[in-house]
Formats: sequence, C-alpha cells, structure tokens
Amino acid sequence: MKYIFYFLLVFAWPLSLLADRAVNNTQMQVNTVISGSDSLKTIAINNLIISEKTEVYPLLSAINDKKLFMHNNILVTLGEKKTSDEGPEKFKILQVYPEFKELFSADGNTLLLPLSELKEIEFSRSTRLLLAPIIPYLNLLSPEVEKRKLAYSQFQGLKDKAILPKLYSALAQEKNKEIQRLGKETIFSIQLNSAPEATHKMWIDSLALNWGPNTQSILEQYASSQTNGDLRAMAVLKAEELQSKHERLRMFQNLFSGLSLGSILIMIALGLSIVYGLAGVINMAHGEFLMIGAYTTYCIQSIMSPASDLFFWISLPLSFIVAGFWGFVIERLIIRHLYSRPLESMLATWGVGLVLVQIARSLFGDLTAVRTPAVLSGGWEVVQHLVLPYNRLFIIFLSTFMITVTYLVLYRSRLGLQIRAVTQNRRMSSCLGIETNKLDAMTFFLGSGLAGLAGAAMTLIGNVVPDMGQTYIVDSFLVVVTGGVGNIAGSIVSGFGIGFLFKILESFFQAVYGKVLILTLIILFLQYKPKGLFPDKGRIGED
Amino acid sequence: MKKYLTSDSLFYIILITIFLIVLPLGNILGFVSNNTISLWGRYFCFAIAALGIDLIWGYTGVLSMCQAFFFCLGGYSIAMHMLLSASGKGVYSAAIPDFMVWNQVDTLPFFWEPFHSFGLSLLLALALPATFAFLFGFFVFRSRIKGVYFAIITQALALAVWLIFLRNETMLGGTNGLTDFKSLLGFELSSPGTKLGLYLIAFLTLCGTFLFCRWLVNSKFGKVLVGILDSESRLSFTAYNVVNYKVAVFVIAAILAAIGGVLYAPQTGIITPGRMDVKASVEMVMWVALGGRGRLKGAIIGALLVNYLYSVCTSLFPESWLYILGILFILTVLFFEKGFWGLIEMLEAKLTGWSSAKGSESLKANI
Repeated sequence: MKYIFYFLLVFAWPLSLLADRAVNNTQMQVNTVISGSDSLKTIAINNLIISEKTEVYPLLSAINDKKLFMHNNILVTLGEKKTSDEGPEKFKILQVYPEFKELFSADGNTLLLPLSELKEIEFSRSTRLLLAPIIPYLNLLSPEVEKRKLAYSQFQGLKDKAILPKLYSALAQEKNKEIQRLGKETIFSIQLNSAPEATHKMWIDSLALNWGPNTQSILEQYASSQTNGDLRAMAVLKAEELQSKHERLRMFQNLFSGLSLGSILIMIALGLSIVYGLAGVINMAHGEFLMIGAYTTYCIQSIMSPASDLFFWISLPLSFIVAGFWGFVIERLIIRHLYSRPLESMLATWGVGLVLVQIARSLFGDLTAVRTPAVLSGGWEVVQHLVLPYNRLFIIFLSTFMITVTYLVLYRSRLGLQIRAVTQNRRMSSCLGIETNKLDAMTFFLGSGLAGLAGAAMTLIGNVVPDMGQTYIVDSFLVVVTGGVGNIAGSIVSGFGIGFLFKILESFFQAVYGKVLILTLIILFLQYKPKGLFPDKGRIGED
Repeated sequence: MKKYLTSDSLFYIILITIFLIVLPLGNILGFVSNNTISLWGRYFCFAIAALGIDLIWGYTGVLSMCQAFFFCLGGYSIAMHMLLSASGKGVYSAAIPDFMVWNQVDTLPFFWEPFHSFGLSLLLALALPATFAFLFGFFVFRSRIKGVYFAIITQALALAVWLIFLRNETMLGGTNGLTDFKSLLGFELSSPGTKLGLYLIAFLTLCGTFLFCRWLVNSKFGKVLVGILDSESRLSFTAYNVVNYKVAVFVIAAILAAIGGVLYAPQTGIITPGRMDVKASVEMVMWVALGGRGRLKGAIIGALLVNYLYSVCTSLFPESWLYILGILFILTVLFFEKGFWGLIEMLEAKLTGWSSAKGSESLKANI
C-alpha cells in the first residue's frame, strides 16, 4: 500500500496542478458531448480522448456501454441490479462526472431506481466507435467487476511505462479488494519489466508482498529472462516462498473441506447408527431421506416468490419434519417387521430406496437445483488466498448444532434415557414399562429427520438429483462401521476422521484412489478393532 | 404315482425339457429367435453366480455384497482375450484394442499380455477372483468381521472397484467397458451356431455347478456351513475353525460368480463397469432371496425368474420396472421369507395335506 501512495504522490500531484487549468475546458467539452449536435459531439469526444483526462473515463465508459443517463441534471450510469418482490427491476445509480461515486437518496439509503425514471442519452454507433482504441482503459473504470478484472489482467503482459499513470488513477478509485490486489500486481509487474535494474529488488519485494493471483508466474518469467544472477536468484526464491505458502494454505483449505464433508457424513451416520443400535435394522433407504429433505427445499423454493431468500430458512425445519414423517410412515409399514434381522432389513430397505428414488424421478425429473441464499454466497477471507465459503461454514455450524442437540436428547432427556435403555435390553425395558413401539417410531422420526436436514444443507453445495442419497450412503455406512455400530461418539470421531482423510488423500491422489486407500485403511483398522472405535464392553458387547 | 412325481423331480423334468430340448430344437427349426436363445443363455450365467450367493448367504448366512465384482472379473478376463485375439482386425488395424487407440496408448499394458492365450485367460478368469476372495476373506474373517459389518465392507469394496474400473487410465475401457468382440477360439460370435453352442455350454455348466453345489451342501462341509448359519460361536467352541470354512465358501462363491461372468461376456458382446456396481450386487442377492434362500433350486429359479421378468417389464412398461423390483424386494423379505420356492412348497404341503393325511414326505426334500 505504501508504495502506491508514494507513486501516486510522484505522478498524480503534478497532474493535478495541470488539471486545475484544464478543468473548465473539460467541463465545456463534457457539456458539448451531452447537448451538442452530432458533429460537435464527435469532436468533443475526440478532444476528451486526446486530453487523456482520467476523470472523464467513467463517462466515456458509460457511453461505450450505452448506459449513460440523466437524472436530476446529474450524469449517471447503472450499477448493480437489485431484484425485488414486486415492481420493475431497480438499479444502483452511480454518478459519472465530475466525480465517479455512488448516489444516495435523501434519507441516506442507497439510491435505487427503475429504468423508467432515467432519461437515456443516446449516441450514434459511429460516435461510440471513436472510443474503440481506449476501451481497455475505460474498462478499468467499468462498474462491472469482471470487466475491470479482465482489463487489469490484459495490461500485465506489457512493458510500457506510458500506461502507468492511467493505472494509478484507476486504481485509486478501486474499492474491490481483490481487484486492488490485481491492479497493484499489474503495476508492479510493468515497473519490474520497464524500470531501471537498480529498483528491481524493490519491485520484486512489492510483488511478493502484494501476492496477487499471477505473481508466481510473473516472477518465474522474470527470472527466466533475467541475466543478472542476484536478481534472478531473488525472484526464484520469492516465487518458491509463495509456492510453499500457497501449498500450506491449500492444505488448510483441504482440512476445511474435510470438516464440512465430515459433518455431513456425521449427520447422516447419526441417524443410521441410533436406529441400528435401537432396532437392529440397517436402513439402506436412509440416503433417500437425504433426498427427500433436498426435494422439500426445492419444492418450497418453487412455491415461494422467487426473489426472497426466506424459503431456505423455512425449509430447514420443514425438511426435518417431512423426511421424519416419511421415516415414521416407512417404519410403521415396513421396518417394524424387520427388527433384529439386520441382513434382511438391508434388502427390504434397499427395495424401499429403489421405490423412493423412482418416485422422485417421475415427479421431478433428473436434475434440479436450489438457489443459494445471498447471505450464504461468497466467503470469509481469513488471510490472503484462504477463503472459507459461507455455505460450508453454515453446514459445519448446522451439523455441530444438530449433533449437540442429538447428544442432549440422548443423554439429558427422558426420551434419550429410554432410547438407551431399549438399545441395551429391549425386553427388560419393555417389562419396566417403556412403550417400545412408540419409542421405535419416534427414534426413526428423529433419525430420518436428521438425514432430511442434511439434505436441505446439501442443496447449498450441489444439485438436487433423485439418487443423491446413494452417493453418500456407502460413505456414511463406513463411518458407522468404523465408529462402532450404534455408538454416537464413535460416529462423530470417525465421521471427522474419514472426512479429513478423504480430502487430504484427494489432494495427493485422484479422488478414486483416495477412496480405495481409505477402504484399505478401514479394513486394516478393523483388524485391530473389529467392533469399531469404542466397542461396548462386558455382556452387552457379546452377540 | 404321487410318490414319484414330487415337486422336486417335476422341477428337474420341466427345466431340462424346456431348456435342453424345446428351446434348442425350436431354435434349429426356426420357431425360437437367436435373441431369445442368447437371452436365456445369459440368464443361466446369472443363475450360476446365484448358486454361489446361495452357498455363502443362504447356507452360511454371510451376506456378501460384492459378488457382481467377481462376476465381472471373469467377464473382463475372457473379454480381454477376445479383444486381443481380434487385434489387427479393428477399425485402426492396430495390434492393440481400439479403445486404447482412442486413449492415445500405443503399447499393450503389461497386464494384458497373459490374455493372448485362451487357456491362460480361462485360468486367470477363475484364479484372479479366487485369489482376491481368499486374501480379502482371510483378513476380514480373521478379524471376526461378520454380519452387517461384512455386508457393509463388501459393499464399500464393490463401490471402490467399480470406481477404479470406471477410470480410463486403468486400461480396462473405462465407462464404455470392453466390447466389439469378434470370435472365440475361431468361432464367429455372431453366427447362430455359436450362439446356440454357447447357450448349451452355459446350460450344461449350470447343471454341472448345480450338481457340485448339491454334493457340497450334502457333504460334511455343507453341514458345517449350516452350522455357521445357526450358531457360529457354538460351532467354534466344538473346535471347528470357522474362519477356514468361511474363507473357503467365499472363494467358492467367487469362482462360481466368475464362471458365470466368463460365459456371460461372449454371449452379451459387451461388459461394462455397470455390471459390477453396488446395485448389481444387491440385485444378485435379491435373485436368491426371491427364489428362496437356502435352497439351490431357489437360487436358480430366482435368477431366471427375475431376469425374465426384467426383460418382459422393461419392454412393456419401462418406467415401472424399478417400482416392481422394489416392491418385490419388500414383499419377499416381509412375507415370503423362503421365497418363491418356499411358496411352492407351502402350496404343495397344503395340497398333499388335503389329499392324504400322512403325505408330508415331500417336505423332507429340502434341497
């Protein structure tokens, strides 16, 4: 940052002195552009281009984009589009001249206007064609992020000092952090490739400190063409440092992905595990409750108005209830006949799964998607180059919350006490007055509901497809097996373990071989602990 | 009369008359299409694999969910041989199979080399799954992984190998699998004569493996297997090494599945990883459950019936097949625990119960 400042001072200050004298002239030209005849307009625009005044670039850029409007005698262009529930689309309004800035309404809020309230100032095609040679510079000040990014990247290959002043003045107005970094990188790289060799050390340092998206390749390219040994060594060293920093951060990113994968697996596995412990039933249709939860979210999105993000927050509890209800019905109809016959239950519930998937396919078709709420898009930039996406953070938060709730229910409530009692000895619990039938149904409701909630969360990171449950079901079975079937703490530990391991191995090998390796590791692990991480001890541990 | 014509002997008579006399004769005389012949030929291959599943699951009570993988190992081995023997006759007339040319591979990967010879291919088709089953089974059974744990682990194994076979760089054809076979041992695969021949070989192999399995389950070995099903811990207390028996039956089941696969590939003309995913393995288990587990005839009937139903249903109402299959799964497990064959036995018992008070002899025949 401090280099920027320094250079702004050197270059921009003398310019501003000159500008004072020219300002009236510029104002005049602008007035001609707005209200003159077509031929005068052409001359005025030409003059503005030749004068190389960067303060008129937003204006020229708006002309080029056909987005120049008049509002209350102020020249404006359109900013970000805001969709609302009713009425026409509204846009943020940006003033383009004499200063490029966002406008606010009288009550201090961002000014939002529909197109109908703006008066467009039109230019002929031939007039706009005049701007063609300076479009790259204009794009530096475009209201669109992608255009600005592209513009800065396009300048990176140049070795021409002449464009530096324009870059500096454009960068001074830039508010987006990511583009600021890119812009500085562009400037430093041009300086490095054009300034005298004595200053190169400083530029290399600045580049490394700034650490933009292309810094490594810029340094490497510089090193390969540099004849001075010292400078070359320095560039190579810096590039390597950045590389290793980058790898460390990527490792962290992988761990984070592992955390979020693990927490989804745990949400699924908890239901499986509790139900198996209680009833001796392996529910192969458990993944389908995940699917039901996801489709509940999708349905609510289609029912509610498309603009509001409220649908997602409503669908979280609803997906729990809907999936839980399906689980309850299936338990009453089918699964209660299968208690303590785990292998048979696997086959019957597989059949249930087939039917459910086919129902979903005929109702919804093959591929649908749920929109991510605006609050959850984007990410939290912890440090440079390490962005934790909000949707994954939310998933981790949600599952931590649900795991805590499940734990409290199981170990701190009467219901949980009864569930644990029936898990240990069904007949004895029944003798002591626990209504095992009711309890089974309730547990199934909880387990399926958890999977449904996981499904709703899954819509944030993937598409909604009929067989989405099957992608995760084998993995969550592995979590259950490794943790010890029917063991909550074991499921949590092994869920995170497998999630981490998978993401880490995935970064070394391809995903497929990572999976194979994990399977091998689990088989080896079960050699030591055939009953999982935390096996039951004593008589209940026996068959 | 009643004494000789039990459901048991009736079963053999009907099966052999239909499949060994009626269908082949009909095919030679032109009543039965070549398609029907190779369709049933394929079903026999499934039935052979189902016999293996009945041994390990129906008799021993170990639910293996990766039998389709062993089936495909057999299928891929013979398919590799057929591709190599046809090399040079492909679209690119290269010395390697066409799909490798697409993948920009110019030399044959080393593990394809043994499959030039038919005898070696056949040996490997059986030895590979057997060795794999032995190693996997030994480690898993040794650490007393059983019941649900075993089912889940084998399921994960099926998923893992399926993923590996899907990859292009494993040089096994990727998603498209191996296809475009020309001939086997000099016989053109497309000619009707070869099709009928393969059909007959498949049927006779089915008969042979059935007799072998029947001998096996009636031997002492078979009794030990049933002992494991009933109470594994009691059996091990009486000094039987349960692990060895389990490993042995796992290997036998794998070999049976591989035999099915070897006969399957030439008749179908294609083998893809889709044949070995988790779904395929669970379906194989369901054939046995639907036919009647713990009865060798049940396994065969189940495999033939479900697959026949599949081809009928998918041509009549393609959308509903998964509904039918799913509901069949549920109904069988809930209400017909002994499957189709159990249903027949029940009906028979009722019939004989009506016609003669003491005619319950046929119930004893349980194989």
